Amino acid sequence: MSAILEIDHVTRRFAGLIAVNDVSFTLNEGEILGVIGPNGAGKTTLVSLISGTLAPSSGDIRFQGHSITALPAFRRARLGIGRTFQIMRPFPGLSVLDNVAVGALFGHGKGTSDLEEARKKARRHLEFVGLDRFADQRADELGGPGRKRLELAKALAMEPKLLLCDEVMAGLNHVEIDEVIDVIRKVRDSGITILVIEHVIKAIKSLSDRLLVIHHGEKIADGEPDAVLSDKTVVEAYLGKRRA
Amino acid sequence: MDLLAQVLINGILLGGLYAIMALGLALVWGVLNIVNLAHGAFIMLGAYLAWHLYHYLGIDPFLGLPITAIVMFGVGYAVQRGILNLIVRAPMFNTLLITFGIEVVLTYLAQLAFSADFRTINPSYAGSNIAVGPVVIPTVRLAAFGVAIALTVAMWLFLLRTKLGRAIRATAQNLVAARLYGVEPRHLYAMTFGIGIGLAGVAGGLYGTVSQINPYIGATLTAKCFAIAIIGGLDNPLGVIVGGLVLGIIESLAILYIGATFGDVASFGVLVLVLIVRPSGLLGRTA
Amino acid sequence: MSIWTRIAIAVVIVAILAALPWFGSDVVVQFGISTLILAVLAQGWNIIGGYTGYASFGNSTFFGLGAYGVAIAMVQWHLPFWVGMVFGAAMAVAFAILLGLPVLRLKGHYFAIATLALAQVVAAIVSNIPLFGQNIGLVLPPLNNDAMFYELALALLVAATLTVAWLTRSRFGFGLIAIRENEEGAAVMGVNTTLYKVMAFALSGLFSALAGGIQAYWITFLDPASAFDISLNVKMIIMAVFGGPGTIFGPVVGAFVLSAISEVLSSEITSVAGLFFGIVVVAAVVLMPRGLADIIRHFRTSGWRYFIQNVKAHRI
Repeated sequence: MSAILEIDHVTRRFAGLIAVNDVSFTLNEGEILGVIGPNGAGKTTLVSLISGTLAPSSGDIRFQGHSITALPAFRRARLGIGRTFQIMRPFPGLSVLDNVAVGALFGHGKGTSDLEEARKKARRHLEFVGLDRFADQRADELGGPGRKRLELAKALAMEPKLLLCDEVMAGLNHVEIDEVIDVIRKVRDSGITILVIEHVIKAIKSLSDRLLVIHHGEKIADGEPDAVLSDKTVVEAYLGKRRA
Repeated sequence: MDLLAQVLINGILLGGLYAIMALGLALVWGVLNIVNLAHGAFIMLGAYLAWHLYHYLGIDPFLGLPITAIVMFGVGYAVQRGILNLIVRAPMFNTLLITFGIEVVLTYLAQLAFSADFRTINPSYAGSNIAVGPVVIPTVRLAAFGVAIALTVAMWLFLLRTKLGRAIRATAQNLVAARLYGVEPRHLYAMTFGIGIGLAGVAGGLYGTVSQINPYIGATLTAKCFAIAIIGGLDNPLGVIVGGLVLGIIESLAILYIGATFGDVASFGVLVLVLIVRPSGLLGRTA
Repeated sequence: MSIWTRIAIAVVIVAILAALPWFGSDVVVQFGISTLILAVLAQGWNIIGGYTGYASFGNSTFFGLGAYGVAIAMVQWHLPFWVGMVFGAAMAVAFAILLGLPVLRLKGHYFAIATLALAQVVAAIVSNIPLFGQNIGLVLPPLNNDAMFYELALALLVAATLTVAWLTRSRFGFGLIAIRENEEGAAVMGVNTTLYKVMAFALSGLFSALAGGIQAYWITFLDPASAFDISLNVKMIIMAVFGGPGTIFGPVVGAFVLSAISEVLSSEITSVAGLFFGIVVVAAVVLMPRGLADIIRHFRTSGWRYFIQNVKAHRI
């Protein structure tokens, strides 16, 4: 297994606050890495640092062996890094289909420049996440669960090598979570490496090959899901000292 | 050196007037998120009101300011309640367009009612000066400066200390907050706009004492108010004092050292630079 | 309507418009020229404002630079008109690229105001440069051929509209729309947002500049006040928004309708025409905030309630 993503002592400070503090880890090709941590632990910041919407204050990020720390977000997207947003931000005025078509038009490599081909691809991705019935609706008419799936379809249409999923299961019911887990597994089977940020521990445990725990911006555990979840510091961070 | 001192004094006096001109625009922008393109036209209306009070009723321009303020407050309250509240949640283009439409209407109404002739408010003391060493300070400009600064500080205290002021400030962050203060949002918005226009009225009254007025002065004044609000930031009413002074001094210096036609270049050039370097204003919070 | 029916209708309308100088009176042709120029400006603004979502108040600057390009080439350098058009367009595009880079980083009101301020700066600088005729202005050699100006303006409008139509079907246009709808979302999907915004600004500037060039040669006089008139910029925004920003024909229809209204008003009630224009703008923003195009789309289903729904959606 070779490393596709290397996070090397990355720190991000905001005015008076350290959101991500000296975090290092590697993500291997074909792996599903789960990242968990309490609210405000710095998980979303981490995704933004990898996707390039935020720049690290220090440290280096390497993708397929090359440093991408200085690259703007769109260049990283073209290298093959796709992400979903926790706060779902579709292109509200565009149809669901065209939202996904943007991913196919741009995305990894340079995308296609043929609109019809992009829409054809987009339709396939909508089918894949189970949204094809809503293809012609405006994106802002979708409900919460629909938007979560749309975020996934948009990112998948970019045909990424690495997919960053920021809380794609939050707010979904059990049935919907199982469906999304299924989709993510299928994505991995198609050869895409995945980093999943999640709040729902049960879901992420069954999904991930490896778990990473972040607390107050620092990495406090990294390893096999079962081992990590029984780790004393992790239990304390998550459940509070009393129950530990 | 004497010339430079004189120019600086002129710039500072002008800056005080600029501050109160921009105060209402900054308040409305910060709280209602409406950039009021008609702000300068309301200043123009205030100036005409003061002119009429002086010429037909013989009311001293400075003593007439409270009347101007109250009348213009009423106009502002009505405009917000009757028109602008209808589009408060519309996209930015639309708020810009509607206030531009109001600007056009006000300018034409003024032209019909007052003709396009230049007017000045000339009280008996208009020509008097105070000499401080080599520097000459025109009394009227000094008085206008004093009133402007005093009102800006009073406005700051109002926003900081009174219940209504706090409600207005809270609303700048979020509309629901207004209800927490027991104020109905529609009323609060109209009060805020009314206060903004009342301040524009006072600014107009003061402007009329130091400069000529005609129905078309509004657009340029609006543009300058923007510049001041941006330089000073929207977070603090005292910011407009800094913004006003910066603009007043830069304009005066540019006119002296580069040429009379460069006053506006300098002020708008500074605006663009500030926007690019620090979009939240010189004094504003960093994003 | 199939795409071919629409194309057929568009071709017929353009043919009728193109034939106008042969049967219309001089007054009608002159009204036509000024309306077509305004329509080009509205369509040009549509690229940066309607499709990319950046409310530019700097397009009147492009117009002015285009006008001065023609005036300087013809008056100062005694070059032919078309060289002036190229020169003016080049100045506008260069301006869009150089100033677009910093200014397009600003969002919302801040971008609007920065472009507004830039327009003032350019106007003031130009009025101090001898080559530009300073405050006095430049007088161009008169060409008494309104039919030519009319056809030129019509051709430019057709070119601008075809460009916008191409946008709606191209990768570039999709990138612009993605930027308008959600700029950060566009960037993480691989859209080079900076490059696209600057290109949209430059394209928008190109059409505005060419319109300015035609206007200058037609009017045969140019000074800073008329070349860099801010209210012209507001007019193009109003026309685009009135017709429907971000649509292919909205800005053109908006320009035609509003020009016709203001023409009728100024001939019927000369003194208060401007007043009515202002009132029309206020009423339009309140009652139909998404333009004529949106009315056509929704009026059939909601009828008169459409207007009430609009007011209800945006008031507090």
